[in-house]
Amino acid sequence: MNRRGFLRSSAAFGLGAAALAASLKPLLELKDFTSMQKFLQKYYKEMTPADMAKVLDRITKETERQYGVRPHVRDLKPMDGVSFVYALNLTRCIGCRKCVHGCVAENNQSRTPEIQYIRVLKMPHGSLDIEKSDHDYDPEKVPEKGFFYMPVQCQQCTNPPCVKVCPVHATWQEADGITVIDYDWCIGCRYCMAACPYGARHFNFTKPSIPNDGLNPDMAYLGNRPRTMGVTEKCHFCVQRTRVGRYPACVEICPAGARKFGNILDPESEVSKILATKRVFIQLKEELGTHPRFFYYFDV
Amino acid sequence: MMNDYKKTRLVLVVLAATFALLAVAFSLDLFGRFTPPRPLPLVNPEFLKTETWRRSYKDLVEAKAPLDDFDCYACHEQGKKVVLKYDAKQQLVVPDEHSDIVMGHGTHGRNNNCFNCHNDENLLRLQPRDGRELKFEESTLLCGSCHGPTYRDWEAGMHGRTSGYWDRSLGPFKKQDCVNCHNPHSPKFPGRQPAPPPNYLREKRGATDPPHTSP
Repeated sequence: MNRRGFLRSSAAFGLGAAALAASLKPLLELKDFTSMQKFLQKYYKEMTPADMAKVLDRITKETERQYGVRPHVRDLKPMDGVSFVYALNLTRCIGCRKCVHGCVAENNQSRTPEIQYIRVLKMPHGSLDIEKSDHDYDPEKVPEKGFFYMPVQCQQCTNPPCVKVCPVHATWQEADGITVIDYDWCIGCRYCMAACPYGARHFNFTKPSIPNDGLNPDMAYLGNRPRTMGVTEKCHFCVQRTRVGRYPACVEICPAGARKFGNILDPESEVSKILATKRVFIQLKEELGTHPRFFYYFDV
Repeated sequence: MMNDYKKTRLVLVVLAATFALLAVAFSLDLFGRFTPPRPLPLVNPEFLKTETWRRSYKDLVEAKAPLDDFDCYACHEQGKKVVLKYDAKQQLVVPDEHSDIVMGHGTHGRNNNCFNCHNDENLLRLQPRDGRELKFEESTLLCGSCHGPTYRDWEAGMHGRTSGYWDRSLGPFKKQDCVNCHNPHSPKFPGRQPAPPPNYLREKRGATDPPHTSP
């Protein structure tokens, strides 16, 4: 190689490298996307308590930096001898959508774009055709004559299709029946959204926006800790509440007492008695064999 | 040999040119930037409240709220029988002093006697049909004296609101009284304003879009 050739090719190389660097510039804008610690984090089920303590510390710091609120993040494990069941009384539901917004506030869901775990369907009496249901009803007053309301959220299937399709095992069913997501392990492929027959899973297309004063600081790792862009989320029966013995936020807020939650293994619990004595008429889309833990029922 | 060298150089030149073009495009923002969506209005905090719609006598006493509504003998005379007035259709004429009461309990207007539930001799007491006399705090027992199955369900936590801890060993659990949700004079829930409907990621489904098949 002569001198001229060397100069020419090194100039071309330099230009190319600079151009490459410049063309990768948009990646710089992802600075909040991940941290080295998060990148090197182990799989949830393989973490030791010491690993988890570090992760919780990182989440606490990241949340405090982003929202200015110091959260109380815990890793709550399923309780022994507990299997959760949810029962919803379609006779009582008045369609007021308070559960939808109570859930958003409790679980730190994105306000813009809107992510809501619960969708309330309005259907005419005497039918149960979800395809003809109305999601957008907004009358002066509910309930409207001749209609009933059916809130749909994650059905916490005993045989969950979403878990089967996850290529990285970022979602799984826990011993108490709750299907959870590790938001740090999710790769955002959205297979689970396609697999879910209930439309229960939601995707963070952007960084979720939550007003600082609207952040719920009572958090769980597998529950309502703030999500990042590019991960899926869904109802998790409020693990941050239910795994310390409390009712989920939607039960707590329902003004009509239509929502019932409890441990099916306890014969004295409300849900045990409801399933034993009430006209429990469906698990939604039960023909699919997903065996939801979410039951709809009527009473007199 | 020479041919391979030329090919390599050609590939390098094309690559370099592509990256250079991309670099220019990015620095001039030719593709535009991601603009965050316009913030949606936040929901009215009224919809986030977990309080019951009504407050029972028990709640009012606990909250030390004024109990004027329950002080019957501020207006009524002690020992004097209250005479009910009926119109031609046997419907109770609610006196002006009680104009806030809507007689809407039961169908066909058949439950139209105040003293089906109130004691006619002591207005501060409630009167179920079995002869017991109940205080205002015990109104749940009065309701249960007619609505047996509902009372049974309520005792089991199946009817009505429950709050607090589903695991009773870990913390307090609260059941609401009938009158925390139902107006005893007109127990059917009145219509309420619903919270706002969802905002979709894209604009609302147009007529051309296929209806979506799952909720």
